[in-house]
Amino acid sequence: MVDDLRKYLNHLLEKVNGLHCILITDRDGVPLVRAVTERAPQLALRPNFISTFGMATDQAGKLGLGRNKTIISMYPSYQVIQMNKLPLVITFIGSDNCNTGHILSLESQIEPFLKDLAAVVVDAP
Amino acid sequence: MEKDLDKVIEEIMATPNVSGCLVADYQGLCLAATGDVHVDSAGIIVAISEQACKLEPNLKPPTVCLETDKRQCLIQRHGTITGAIYKLKA
Repeated sequence: MVDDLRKYLNHLLEKVNGLHCILITDRDGVPLVRAVTERAPQLALRPNFISTFGMATDQAGKLGLGRNKTIISMYPSYQVIQMNKLPLVITFIGSDNCNTGHILSLESQIEPFLKDLAAVVVDAP
Repeated sequence: MEKDLDKVIEEIMATPNVSGCLVADYQGLCLAATGDVHVDSAGIIVAISEQACKLEPNLKPPTVCLETDKRQCLIQRHGTITGAIYKLKA
């Protein structure tokens, strides 16, 4: 199942210009499935970077606007889009001029695969 | 702030057979959407226009027309802004 998902993520990577990687992790940043190109910044793939999203999304949920779904972080040469699918987190890293809207629309295409993956994470001790 | 954009969209929607209209920025983020249009399609619309521009990079961005049984979707890029108009087939 994971191999199929990885192949599918690699296929999605090719579809969006400037998208460097797609990571599916748990909320601690532990990678479950990853599709990465050589252009992805290695520092951003580390669990201590990805796990900060867990705290950020919790805090953003306290703004009184409802549950936080997505956080888009723009950097000088990269953009990071993280989606709250707790217990899973989806992280996309792309170039600064990458099509953000196109990346956001990938959510619906990845979502069907997340149910089984989430069950595995919940069952893990 | 977006009064001018709203006015343009109002004008487009007043045109016969137009069922929806969407405007997106260069990052594929939706600036405005009215009628029978899904906001999430903004990114894909910009991506389509970007790909079409690659066919003739030295010319003005082309107008892309996507045709289905019931509707037509016309996509046109102008600078950093991309617009899509959905028309019912006559």
